[in-house]
Amino acid sequence: MFAIERINILKSYLRERGKLDVHSMSEMLSVSEVTVRRDLEKLEAEGFLTRLHGGAIIKGAEDSTPATGKDPDGAKEEADREEIARVAYLMVRNGDVLMLTNGPIVLRLARKLSGRAGVTVLTNDIQVALEVAGQAGNRAVLLGGSPDPESRALFGSLAQANVQTFFVNKIFVEADGISEQLQLTVSSQEKAALIKEALACAEDKIILCEAARFSRSAFYRLGPLSLARKVVTNTSLPAAYKARIFEMDIQLFTSVNAFEGGD
Amino acid sequence: MGPPLIELRSVGKFFSDDFSLRDISMELLSGEVHVLIGQNGSGKTALMNAVCGIFRRDRGEILLDGREIDFGSVNEARGAGIVMQYQNPHLFDNLSVAENVFFRRIPRRARSIGRALDRYKLHEDCETLFSRFGIGISPETLVSQLGYTQRLVVSAAQTCIAEAKVIVFDEPTAGMTDPEREILFKIVREIRDRGVGVFYISHKLDEIGRIGDRVTVLNGGKVSASLPDGTVGREELIRMMTGGTCAERYPKLRVDYGPPILSVEHLRSGRVLEDVSFTLRKGEILGITGLMGSGRTRLANCLFGQTKPSGGSILVEGRQADFGHPSDALGRGVALIPEDRDTNAAFHNQDILQNISVAALERFRGPYGLDRRYMEELTDEYIASFGILPGHPGDIMRGYSGGNQQKVVVARWFMSLCKIFIMDEPTRGIDAAARIDIYNAMNDLVTKGASIILISSDLEEILGMCDRVLVLAGGRIACDLPRAQATSERILDYASN
Repeated sequence: MFAIERINILKSYLRERGKLDVHSMSEMLSVSEVTVRRDLEKLEAEGFLTRLHGGAIIKGAEDSTPATGKDPDGAKEEADREEIARVAYLMVRNGDVLMLTNGPIVLRLARKLSGRAGVTVLTNDIQVALEVAGQAGNRAVLLGGSPDPESRALFGSLAQANVQTFFVNKIFVEADGISEQLQLTVSSQEKAALIKEALACAEDKIILCEAARFSRSAFYRLGPLSLARKVVTNTSLPAAYKARIFEMDIQLFTSVNAFEGGD
Repeated sequence: MGPPLIELRSVGKFFSDDFSLRDISMELLSGEVHVLIGQNGSGKTALMNAVCGIFRRDRGEILLDGREIDFGSVNEARGAGIVMQYQNPHLFDNLSVAENVFFRRIPRRARSIGRALDRYKLHEDCETLFSRFGIGISPETLVSQLGYTQRLVVSAAQTCIAEAKVIVFDEPTAGMTDPEREILFKIVREIRDRGVGVFYISHKLDEIGRIGDRVTVLNGGKVSASLPDGTVGREELIRMMTGGTCAERYPKLRVDYGPPILSVEHLRSGRVLEDVSFTLRKGEILGITGLMGSGRTRLANCLFGQTKPSGGSILVEGRQADFGHPSDALGRGVALIPEDRDTNAAFHNQDILQNISVAALERFRGPYGLDRRYMEELTDEYIASFGILPGHPGDIMRGYSGGNQQKVVVARWFMSLCKIFIMDEPTRGIDAAARIDIYNAMNDLVTKGASIILISSDLEEILGMCDRVLVLAGGRIACDLPRAQATSERILDYASN
């Protein structure tokens, strides 16, 4: 490829996303990292970008968060969650016994379950329980415990003890963050403790997490990603994560939703 | 047999995290045929490339006649007496068979001006050589008129007369029928009897017993065993070839199938497909695998109307589908993602917008020509959904990585709204991240009621993604295994029978 083509690609990528990292650019363009860095240097000299350690950001974006395309952040987040819930729903079969730990993606999944029959849902999320209880043909079981007003879910020793008495064939856990070392994290200690108990009581362990929450850490560590056999996230997850998760022998489901044919 | 002709000591070469050669030691004696077997991607060809100067090793030693060698090019290796016969014959189409065979040793008229070509002697020499092996090709024929397997034979004959100490054959019989294989074995035996050492890469287990003096099994870039011929059985060899495969990491979504959507009955094509019958159901991912030359790609071409079958029938949704041209196939909702993206699918000098939308232009027909706006918006949506990077519609295809180009090609057929997707080696040579995107795109298709025929030589991928696996061998379906019964051992056993 000619240098000029490469530079145009880097520019349009930057305009689109606001930032880039050298490693994934070198993979994407099939050139060495040093080539990418040389290009970035040129572009910096042109005043197009500012180089950072391992990457670059578009000029003028230093003090604000990079633009994420046309959608405002909130709408993008909602759309990402909806897509993950859609794929998670495709994993649920009629007659499944599910454990759903609390979270916004899981709530969306629960709403979709009206399309399945004979599903039993065990949950600590009050809204999830109400949602499923209202679906003809499905059944909800709410764990006991102490309510947390913010997440509208139940936690604590009673919830943990409750969970141990069940065995479910699938568990969907929503992670609040996945660190660069691929450690699962959640926002509270009670949540971490409950999820640990719940994971032990399930056959098929599935983690749900938006691509935007990778490289971010919530406060409480749950354990390595390899606690689960499957992860569902968005297609926009950076290539390096995709490759690493595949290497770890974990099934990575991304929310490709392009086909318009079929029924 | 004499002292080691070639000795490899802990040879290593790093390619990627997925694939590298690790700590390989082996030897080759003069006058022996050393067979290398292993699955696709086990490192057989890569190892031989390191011996033949195509690339340099990172570590370890290679000794030729006791002296360390480190060739920077194929010609250097050839000069030292190491010759490689490649999988795809490299011949000159516009020269005759004899001229190709004797290309490096053209007989010249002794005392003529400019040392003119002695055509008479050339044809005579070639005739003599061919009759020794029972090759029934006329030396005067132009190579452009030969079929693929005849080219393989010519190429082997060319290798045979090379002055060499070591000759490497890379799957020389792939795609050959039995009589041609016999010719090849004769050639290899003659080379061996001259005292040349032969490395012989093969996928066919029966060839070990017929031609090999020794066999080395490669698995994941390492030697899993090196043994004199005849000391281990077929099952043991298969076990050594497949140990450690990992089909668990494939994102497979279970889907309930619908009724049959494609039925193939007694399909025949030339000498490649003898009798192929199967059905594909709605929502199913049907895997088809087999060795090189087993007819996988021919089958795909027949289904897509690119090759006219010589017999049998194809039914799409119960109706006869005699496709005379790929456009007929597309009209009935059958798409092919071909094996060779570079020559058959990618428009390298066009932009991403054109590459994605080219098969769906009908959808953008408006009152005043193409509805560009709709075309651009829809393309943007596809780019985002497939995670195509950098993903600007105006980017030129040529600048994209292999994985992203492949996603562009897959997106193109999604946009054309087909129902049956034939994917021929869709993930070969692309990075892990793009593979994951393509597997998830396959899930997207089947959950929405489309069906997929996945043709692949990557057994892990076949086992990981398919609901059912067909093994092609000798132009027929050797077995039809449901997901639960399919194992790499079984597949290899049927494929190499």
